[in-house]
Amino acid sequence: MKESVFQPILGAFGEFGGRYASELLHRPLAELARARKEILPTPDFQAELQAELRRWAGRPTPLTYCSRFSRDIQLEVYLKREDLLHGGAHKTNNAVGQALLARRLGKQRLIAETGAGQHGVACAMAGARYGFDTTIYMGAVDVERQRPNVRLMELCGAKVRAVTEGAATLKEAINAALRAWTEEATVAHYLLGSVCGPDPFPSLVADLQSVIGREARHQMLEAAGDLPDALVACVGGGSNAAGLFRGFAGDPVRRIGVEAAGEGLHTRRHGATLARGRPGLLHGARTYVLQDEDGQTRDAYSLAAGLDYPGVGPEHAHWHETHGAQYVVADDEEALAAFEHLSRREGIVPAFESAHALAFCRRAVREGSLPRGARVLVNLSGSGRKDLPTYFARYADRGDHL
Amino acid sequence: MSRLVLEQTLAGNTPLFSPFFLLGDPTPEISFQILSACLRAGAPMLELGFAYSDPVADGPALQRAAIRTRAGGTTVDGAFRLLSRLRSVSDAPFNLLVYGNLLHARGAKRFCRDAADAGASSLLVPDCPLEENERLAETASAAGLAFCDLVGPATSAERLRRIGTRVTGFIYRTGRQGVTGRGGSADALADVAATVSATPHPVCVGFGIETHEQLEAVWGAGARIAVIGSALARRIAAVEHCLTDPASVNTLIEGMASRVRAAVDASQRAKGD
Repeated sequence: MKESVFQPILGAFGEFGGRYASELLHRPLAELARARKEILPTPDFQAELQAELRRWAGRPTPLTYCSRFSRDIQLEVYLKREDLLHGGAHKTNNAVGQALLARRLGKQRLIAETGAGQHGVACAMAGARYGFDTTIYMGAVDVERQRPNVRLMELCGAKVRAVTEGAATLKEAINAALRAWTEEATVAHYLLGSVCGPDPFPSLVADLQSVIGREARHQMLEAAGDLPDALVACVGGGSNAAGLFRGFAGDPVRRIGVEAAGEGLHTRRHGATLARGRPGLLHGARTYVLQDEDGQTRDAYSLAAGLDYPGVGPEHAHWHETHGAQYVVADDEEALAAFEHLSRREGIVPAFESAHALAFCRRAVREGSLPRGARVLVNLSGSGRKDLPTYFARYADRGDHL
Repeated sequence: MSRLVLEQTLAGNTPLFSPFFLLGDPTPEISFQILSACLRAGAPMLELGFAYSDPVADGPALQRAAIRTRAGGTTVDGAFRLLSRLRSVSDAPFNLLVYGNLLHARGAKRFCRDAADAGASSLLVPDCPLEENERLAETASAAGLAFCDLVGPATSAERLRRIGTRVTGFIYRTGRQGVTGRGGSADALADVAATVSATPHPVCVGFGIETHEQLEAVWGAGARIAVIGSALARRIAAVEHCLTDPASVNTLIEGMASRVRAAVDASQRAKGD
């Protein structure tokens, strides 16, 4: 791949990243890249952002030591509680930051895509608070499986557009949002929800999510007197993992991202882009992509709507190739067992997405991935409330998995 | 070499009409018949797309066309076979529009070589802009393809100049700020003249062009090539459920040919103005 004609220039993470977007998006992307450099780091903007994250979004989120869950799995497990952030997931960090930037840029409208609906909810809430006219594009399949979130977005005044093309999930929602942004770039900001897409989005979203890792590092030192041995986070697009990992830059800590194996890597029903994809272009970035021989994107699948994305943030692709982080998988069944396990032992109901990170931890000692007693910091990126209808409808009668 | 026929075609100053189709839409065989009929009807060149799973520059008509084309069995190899077959019956320039990942997956060098071997004249990659396309432009040129690039109504004169330094074919100016297939705005079309006067390259206009008034506005503004795509794809969509009926297919092909003939006639009238 060193010989690829596609060597990203803008926002490159080694061989990955870049700005592979239509010329028609040049102006808004260049404008946003400037805002990231010239507005985001200013004390004035940071003060506004931090105040909003504190007073409106509920930061800092706690760090919770899980004694009963830890005992069961022979690890020392600390959870960074992004499920307690306003909106129920880490997505709010990014939505607040980008919405405030968009306001500085004089935009009147927000466009966003959503998969699980968590990013859509965060955008709808931020849109309401900061006075934007907000439109959320969501795959029709996701609209069905995440009804409570759709209602919540509408309650906060956002318009939800169901996208019916293709597999009608996150990939198609991003396509639709990019098209809408091309039409309305002068008045609208595209509030992309993960560390994907054309430059500057992967960098901007990681900047805004790095508050997770910075806080958690401080809290870990306070609670345990030392750094964790390993960081574990689920990876769809990869924003919660990037936000956690970035806070520990330079620290001697293992970074482990958990992708969705769905119904198994031997099937095509999974979302394990780094495990089963290869480098290519998707949604404006050079990154790993689930694709066929011709370069047609394959549909991804996971029980967790936030993980069924056939691409992955380009920085993760870079970490994957340079061993800056390690990527493993957990399947639907493992995630579901972890979902039930944490609920019963700790009274914390994780999002199906976050349950993938816990699922890896549950088997880590047994399979020799982590030493017994290792101190592990897991990003509990979201609350499982949104998943309850799916859980009760499909799984509640299948017996005890503990 | 097919690149030369593009240069020869663009050497004059006559207004040109070019239909756009996805190679293989709706099936390889019917696509060949439609494209040959368009050439027989006088189309001086063809814009030809490769169906891709995530065509973010395209509106509903061409998104649907991409799904239909892939369902009809056209792979990237199949598109190249179709292109070769067309080349065997025509000397017209064939200009390719291909999303970047199809080049990436095949290897851009191999893709460009295969395209040139199959008879393509030029290449445009809509999702690989100025900042990222230097090596791509070199690769296309090395394979013998003219390199074309996209600009929009909002592209500044300075940026147009920089884009122009890399272009060896024509500048593809979108008729609107947005995706293909929605009505072009009169303002955006009027601004085509500014694009034409700001670049030494021939200008091609597509996206949102459908009516003869729009074609005439485009040529009147000094653009050399006017493209209609989505409106033709919608004609295929209208019969996509009765493709096994020969009468429907014949009607489609004849209708397409007469539509192209009318647009070519309009281009000749525009020349006389």
